[in-house]
Amino acid sequence: MKEFGYSGKNRRRVLIVDDEEINRLILGRMIAEKYDPEYAENGEKALELLQDPSKRYSLILLDLWMPVMDGFDLLGRIRSDEELSNIPVIVMTSEKAAEARSIKLGADDFISKPYRSPEVIKARCDRIIQLYENRKILRSAEKDTLTGLYTREFFNEYIIQIDTFDSQMDMDALVLNIEHFHMVNEMYGRSMGDKVLGCVGEILRELFGDSVFIACRPDADYFYMYISHRDDYDTVFARFNSELSAVTDIPVIRYRVGIYEHVEKSNTIEERIDHAKLACDGVRGDYTKPISFYSKELHEVDLYHERLVHDIDEAIFNRDLIVYYQPKYDITGDTPRLRSAEALIRWKHPELGMISPGDFIPLFENNGLIQKLDHYVWAEAALQVRKWKVRHGISIPVSVNVSRVDIYDPDLKNRLSSIVKENKLTTDELMLEITESAYADDAKALIEVVEQLRGMGFKIEMDDFGSGYSSLNMITTIPIDVLKMDMKFIRNMNRDEKSLKMVELVIDIAKFLKVPVVAEGVEDASQVETLKGMGCDVIQGYYFSKPVMPQEFEEFIIEEVRRRKKAEKK
Amino acid sequence: MFDLEALRRFGANVEDGLNTCVNNEEFYLKMVRKAVADASFDRLEKAVEGKDLDEAFEAAHALKGALGNLAITPILEPVVEMTEHLRGREDMDYGPYLKTILDKKKELEEIVNADV
Repeated sequence: MKEFGYSGKNRRRVLIVDDEEINRLILGRMIAEKYDPEYAENGEKALELLQDPSKRYSLILLDLWMPVMDGFDLLGRIRSDEELSNIPVIVMTSEKAAEARSIKLGADDFISKPYRSPEVIKARCDRIIQLYENRKILRSAEKDTLTGLYTREFFNEYIIQIDTFDSQMDMDALVLNIEHFHMVNEMYGRSMGDKVLGCVGEILRELFGDSVFIACRPDADYFYMYISHRDDYDTVFARFNSELSAVTDIPVIRYRVGIYEHVEKSNTIEERIDHAKLACDGVRGDYTKPISFYSKELHEVDLYHERLVHDIDEAIFNRDLIVYYQPKYDITGDTPRLRSAEALIRWKHPELGMISPGDFIPLFENNGLIQKLDHYVWAEAALQVRKWKVRHGISIPVSVNVSRVDIYDPDLKNRLSSIVKENKLTTDELMLEITESAYADDAKALIEVVEQLRGMGFKIEMDDFGSGYSSLNMITTIPIDVLKMDMKFIRNMNRDEKSLKMVELVIDIAKFLKVPVVAEGVEDASQVETLKGMGCDVIQGYYFSKPVMPQEFEEFIIEEVRRRKKAEKK
Repeated sequence: MFDLEALRRFGANVEDGLNTCVNNEEFYLKMVRKAVADASFDRLEKAVEGKDLDEAFEAAHALKGALGNLAITPILEPVVEMTEHLRGREDMDYGPYLKTILDKKKELEEIVNADV
């Protein structure tokens, strides 16, 4: 680090303002070792020099009694000017009364006349210049230039100040996120994106101008706020919405806000923000309700999810994740024939007991951990198919789930291929289920991957067909081998005409595509009859069996072997 | 010859003055030369004659600062006293102060110009 005050050729400039030449020269001589002194004999001349854009002064040494424009007048002008107020001012005086007046006007220090201690004067000049320069560095680090809001570090510091000096104040923590902000950048350009962020900062400052309000933009499209408690967030954010659209000319900019009201001061700042963020992330994608409030229940769900995320590796290692199998029966003939099975995961947690897949699958789909689970299931299922094959002499293909995140994994084909090889299976013995929601994400990528997998011999099943919004469009562009209809329709078909029609429609589509259709969630004989009558090929559901452990499943295989032998005899 | 000793004989507090001038003798003597030629002496004289107390105060105040820094005590002392009276714009006869100041200034002028 350079020693302060010595900066090579560019020495700091100090303006000495005094009507008495001798005083100017004496001070100049005192500081000349370190600084470049410049002189003005009154306030007016000083102001001229200060307003010269080619000059930057590090300090003003100011006499008070001067003709034309005196020191008080000049000091007042310096302190009311945004630029000039960044220059420290030391007043030279021999009168106590003048000290009080000048400190009110914004003087930083005093030098008593006559100047008997040059060393002290020099040290005071150094100190005040250093103080201002440090302050300037701090200030430039304090604000985010794009939004005019604080940076994260200063946001925290100011919260600490409120905690310390206004500990009784009722405060709320807020997290605001602009949804799909990258789309704003893509559609309108980067500079428009920056403009939107700038406007958000400006509008927030204006809307909460009547509150104690601290805000920062910690990264990209997230805004954190710390606000004295208020009850009108609905109204305020409705205004935020309309003002943002008006200023940016973008009709709809979606955002969501999480609010943690009446923050618990015993929580760390991080925890307060985390609570608000949790509420914010909870409203993701729900455009009807941009504001969400943090609650204890929300927190408990979050803690539970944290626990699951934390425990997943151990669960895989300890084999607490158990793959269950649900049979699928071909009902096209007189007697149902075991055709294949679907692998379904269950988590038997050593402390939490059986955990419903509904608790952890959507969670892991969101955070990408689903890939670990998928890999585990693929390996387990392939091994199981092989075991059954060896033990009973017949092949029962198993369907496994291929999640969205797997589709984008460049290693997908290699992994599947080696799993199949390791277990001496053919690729059509491990069937791959994909959901139509993957199509909505990136249709092109999905089609490409599906084509490659089919090229390798894998059979692709379209899961939950009919539940998404892109079904019809998708089905004409994506090559598949089996259509699985959404179990909602089956569940309601015997009491709801519309669902029945949907089932018919899906079966017709499958016929048109010349692929078999699987009905999931079939529970009773009447459903089986209806589906059979409509021409459904395969049935899966409690009517035949709930998902069972591999050992139990073997009974279905033994039964199938028996049936086949019988059929052969005939 | 105009030197520190001559100033000392005149009654200046040379140590203080020199200290203020960062112990640079040449610079100190140069500043003393400037002081005797200071226009504020004329301003003060004219202001007192014209009874312009505001102007007189400004001039006296300016002289006080410069003479104080140079520690030219014999002139500084009457200037300081006069400045305080003028600060309150006291209606009094400033003639005797002015005379002392100008006499002492003349005396110093002679010392300063002794070697010229």
